[in-house]
Amino acid sequence: MTVATRPPGPDTLRQRAAAGVSPAGRGPRRGRGIAYATSGVLLSLVFVLPLVWALIQSFEPGTDIAATPSAKDFTRLTFGNYTGLLGSGNDIEHYMLNSFAVALGTALLTAVVATLAGYGFGRFRFRGKGIVFGVILVTVMIPFQAILTPLFIELNDVHLTNSLYGLVLFYVTFNLPFSVFIMRNTFLQIPSEIEEAAFVDGASHWTMLIRVLRPLILPGIATTVLYAFLSSWTEFLGALTFLTSQSKYTLPVELYNLEVGTYGGVNLGYLIAGTVIAMVPCIVLYVSLQRYYVQGLMAGSVKS
Amino acid sequence: MAAKSTTKPGRLGFMLTVPSLLLVLALVILPLGYAVVISMTDFPLVGSYHYVGLANYRTIFHDSQFLHAILLTVVYTAIVTGPIFVVGYGLAMLTRSNRRGSTLLRTMFFLPYIVGLTFESFILYVELQPDSGGVNFLLRILGLTDGSTAWLVHTVPGMVAICVLVVWFSSGLTMVLLLGGMQGVPRELYESAALDGAGRWRTELRITLPLLRQPIALSLILSVIGSFLAFNQFEILTQGGPGTSTTPVVLWIYQVAFTQGLIGKATAGALLLVVAVAAISAGQFILLRDPEANAR
Repeated sequence: MTVATRPPGPDTLRQRAAAGVSPAGRGPRRGRGIAYATSGVLLSLVFVLPLVWALIQSFEPGTDIAATPSAKDFTRLTFGNYTGLLGSGNDIEHYMLNSFAVALGTALLTAVVATLAGYGFGRFRFRGKGIVFGVILVTVMIPFQAILTPLFIELNDVHLTNSLYGLVLFYVTFNLPFSVFIMRNTFLQIPSEIEEAAFVDGASHWTMLIRVLRPLILPGIATTVLYAFLSSWTEFLGALTFLTSQSKYTLPVELYNLEVGTYGGVNLGYLIAGTVIAMVPCIVLYVSLQRYYVQGLMAGSVKS
Repeated sequence: MAAKSTTKPGRLGFMLTVPSLLLVLALVILPLGYAVVISMTDFPLVGSYHYVGLANYRTIFHDSQFLHAILLTVVYTAIVTGPIFVVGYGLAMLTRSNRRGSTLLRTMFFLPYIVGLTFESFILYVELQPDSGGVNFLLRILGLTDGSTAWLVHTVPGMVAICVLVVWFSSGLTMVLLLGGMQGVPRELYESAALDGAGRWRTELRITLPLLRQPIALSLILSVIGSFLAFNQFEILTQGGPGTSTTPVVLWIYQVAFTQGLIGKATAGALLLVVAVAAISAGQFILLRDPEANAR
């Protein structure tokens, strides 16, 4: 260990930082490590506990959940809530299918429309480009909650209310600002040499997009797809407003009706189990693809 | 940066943006214009309607439920914005250093945001039940209450529950938005600050914060607007009750339009909401914008 006769220079600091030693020396480092670990564990517990609790509780019979407990003893765990939800009577799989169809449709359509627009904005010049971009971005300032009433009347007039197709169009539209923004940035970051080389080789615009640029824009598309899927899977107000017959309900609306007892008595076990079922795709998708989601948000926040 | 090729036909570029443009025109711009018209009629859910000029606007300004909804929304926003930011910032500070486990921590903290307010509200509905819910169970075990708090049928407990829920849900998003900015801060700045003997808080205040202007602005704008437009958690947890004491503006609009069938009146209130949201976004944007942004 060197005897310090003057403050450590920048190089020493960098070496120490790289080695995980704080610039100030070694003592505080160990203490900070423990603080980090403890707060990390405690906080993650706080953040994740409600979801884990819900999962465990979904295996309790509804009567146990609603019973004033002398203890939450979890001794009578069963799949009863799940078997009760599936199949005749509750048909949760029907609503899962509705939600899935809408979410998938939204994700794919958003990806296509936003990619095309992103390509147009990011790689072409045309008159009025700023205006068109502005119009699409202005959607951000007009929350759908505030135009819900005229939107309902308008969609009703073209028979798109109580329709999963109509819901998809609605979701796609309000996903557009974010998605077009992401895709435009994606295209803007592609060096023009790649395209110039492809043009020299005689590629048409479509070949360009589909073959040449595809691997480069895939991360942006992944972010868009993920974001659109998740936001439509969890959306509530729009689905509640536009879907008026039970056969069309998505999961959030069906769960809501389970909660308020539209179909008779309220079974809290069904409600919790149904919610767990609804949460699983979100969590699975997120965990497997989180790279795209988080990076999309982080990049967007800095460039905004 | 990548130069745009000038040899591309502009027309094709425009055509590529047409689908998006059409959707936005049809489902955003058109309804907005339609809304202005509707707000000046007594449009009912079913039946014929008449032009009434500004009568709806005059009515709602004297409507105590509407005024209460505005008040509730503003108070709610004021209560949750600070904690969401502070907690999110703390989480970002905790997980920004790429140590062992920090990716896992980030995943855990962001998870509530992914699951969404809707499903979390259903869970909380079950857990807030008096005597049987998990929350009351915990409180009873910890000796804080007797476990019989009926959270969702009283105004203040209901609002407390909703506020806690929203902070839990939103802080992960704030964390992610801030992390993007934090990881862009050059190491050298921290090193020279340490050389100058600056403590941790001062470093944070003087160096990190100013560089995070954009992510901070974005997360605050999203948070405030999100709070103004809150609906899901209120409808699911308290249905706006008891009475209309926990009814925010969007829920008011929904109830007036679809339960009371007064579309004209509801739309008038909705347009005021549009104006308010636009004003807030513009105001925040101006207040928080980076003065050097144009120089980049």
